[in-house]
Amino acid sequence: MRKRLLQALGVVGVIVAVIVLLKVAPAGSASPAPGTRTAWGDPDLQGIWTDEYQTPLQRPAKYATKETFTDEERAELDRQRAGILRRDQRVEIGSERDVAGAYNAVFQSIKHTGKRTSLVVDPPDGRIPALTAEARQRADTDRQFRLALLQATQTCKDGDAACAGGKFGPPSPRRNEVAPFYNTGRLNRSDGPEDRSMTERCMAAVMPDFGGYRRIVQAPGTVSIFYDVGQGQGWQRVITLEQVPHLASSVRQRFGDSRGHWEGNTLVVDVTNFSPKSDFMGARENLHLVERWTRSDAKTLEYTVTIEDPTTWTKSWTVKQEMNRQDDQANRVYYEPRCHEGNYGLPALLSGMRADEAAFAAGKGPDPATKDTATDFGTEGGVDALTGGG
Amino acid sequence: MSRRSLIAAVLITAVVTAIVSVSMTTRLAGQSTRPARTADGKPNISGVWQVNNEANWDLQPHEARAGAVTQRGIYGYAYAQVPAAPVLALGAAGIVPGSIGVVQGDGQIPYTADAAKRKADNAAHWIDRDPELKCYLPGIPRATYMPQPFQIVQSGNKIQMIYTFSNAARTIHLDTVAGPPDDTWMGHSVGRWDGDTLVVDVTHFNDKTWLDRAGNFHSDALHVTERFTPVSSDALRYEATIEDPKVFTRPWTIAMPVYRRLEPNIQLLDYPCIDFTEEFMYGHLRKQQLVKHWESDTMAVDITRKVPPGEQLFDWYGK
Repeated sequence: MRKRLLQALGVVGVIVAVIVLLKVAPAGSASPAPGTRTAWGDPDLQGIWTDEYQTPLQRPAKYATKETFTDEERAELDRQRAGILRRDQRVEIGSERDVAGAYNAVFQSIKHTGKRTSLVVDPPDGRIPALTAEARQRADTDRQFRLALLQATQTCKDGDAACAGGKFGPPSPRRNEVAPFYNTGRLNRSDGPEDRSMTERCMAAVMPDFGGYRRIVQAPGTVSIFYDVGQGQGWQRVITLEQVPHLASSVRQRFGDSRGHWEGNTLVVDVTNFSPKSDFMGARENLHLVERWTRSDAKTLEYTVTIEDPTTWTKSWTVKQEMNRQDDQANRVYYEPRCHEGNYGLPALLSGMRADEAAFAAGKGPDPATKDTATDFGTEGGVDALTGGG
Repeated sequence: MSRRSLIAAVLITAVVTAIVSVSMTTRLAGQSTRPARTADGKPNISGVWQVNNEANWDLQPHEARAGAVTQRGIYGYAYAQVPAAPVLALGAAGIVPGSIGVVQGDGQIPYTADAAKRKADNAAHWIDRDPELKCYLPGIPRATYMPQPFQIVQSGNKIQMIYTFSNAARTIHLDTVAGPPDDTWMGHSVGRWDGDTLVVDVTHFNDKTWLDRAGNFHSDALHVTERFTPVSSDALRYEATIEDPKVFTRPWTIAMPVYRRLEPNIQLLDYPCIDFTEEFMYGHLRKQQLVKHWESDTMAVDITRKVPPGEQLFDWYGK
């Protein structure tokens, strides 16, 4: 009897051991690359990362059938792109455009041409899927309002691209209307902070983001990512790996609500609960992201994100980006997000507009509605052959 | 092996597996049962933490006050002040709680004579001057005892601390990383383990953060030495020694417990104070005043915004 019991217990031991091992062993942990596991055995995504190359989000029409550039093509594009003045171009001295150029090319990050012709990898044509009819309607309503506020300006008088679809005329009565949607862009009006862009209000960061730097620090059950983006508009994200449901749908957050888990060597993160106050290319509270972060080798972090919002796009789309590991010491220089703490621009803009209004009322200045404080510096400084921008 | 023992083995296996599975699940979900030590043998301080004290109101011992802003009541005594207009409508919800204080030793903050005057002046101009009201980065040590929770993400050579207030964060470098070439709001943090205590040396500060809502302040010569010591798996002793020869006559120390948030689904939530303070910060610069009048059954509150003249308009933001 005793022998049988021992036998039985022995079998129990083996079965339990097998079951527990099966449960505990991380899936896909077969052959981790050296130095890419944390001390507690998770894939190690830690460090400072950035995409060192310039790749357009969408594939430009001229590269329609081309997925990648040859090294020669990249070198030639780099040569062309380095040869333009961009914002260093002085336009008519003393004009509003010229003053706008005070934010000169020093403030632009110009990176070497990347290998791929688009960050979008799905659909395979590298283009963001068509907007839904509902989203087209929203975009048109928003555009019409912006154009109405712009119509008395030199920008519309000159027929600049920034006024495309609009017309030149006297100040619109729509200047007294509330914007049709919670505004996140620059309106040509400064009645209050809500008329100005999220950038001017130091709240420009959105999810997902394809620029700037990431600092990743991990602990068991948690991945934290500091996003150094937008000239001091960085933000801190914490992804829990605990198996807990998303926040109640009544709780909405600017950067959504992240839930992660490991699939082999890949961190998969589901992001929901976005706020109607955050805008990613027209998608707001219905945005849903599925991100995949994979350390493909010691110096490369591969990031893909599938972007879905059935109220905005006719189908989901996927962006892929390779980020390169950055040196901790060389990048110690300041990543503190203190845009808001030094935001003298917003009060100056508002008080300047109040001064303009007072001057106009006293017959000492032009109607502020004829000034353009909404559209950006154009492409007078040359067109970037890769991005099509200035 | 007989059929009976095989059945017994399978049954026992089922029970044992169930128990092991349940205990493992509990350990995953319940933060209180997380491992006491990390893979490299250090105390495990990862998690969501929060103080439960009144330090952000005033580091020093103080009795409760009628409101965050008070004025003379019928009597001239300090203890007979009444709530002032900005907070009167809040009733008991506006009361400032008393505190036994967190300043070690005699409870005094060793200001120089000039600095003591400025502290008193700060207290008298709290609404105009406290960077918290403008949603500016809270600085160290104040970030630790802001009323909202913060999170520690503890890795080997980096520890990230993430604060609810203002979405502030800092990286504590346990490896060698030289400080930034400029001063900062949150400081440059270099850490090391002294036994089971995480010691953090924080330098490279600007002179813009405050230490509490009572007007306690520092200069850009601030040097903070923090000590995080686990006293149980769910509580830390937090100690910060404050040195600043431009403002204080000697180093002084604050100390307090910090408690783990034990909810299994605890997480930091958005605290969008840049957004929520816009009316406070820019409302006086609107074309048309927005917040003007509010009334209850017994009270009407009227707000008149004013624009400081000249450069004072901008000085207010940098106070």
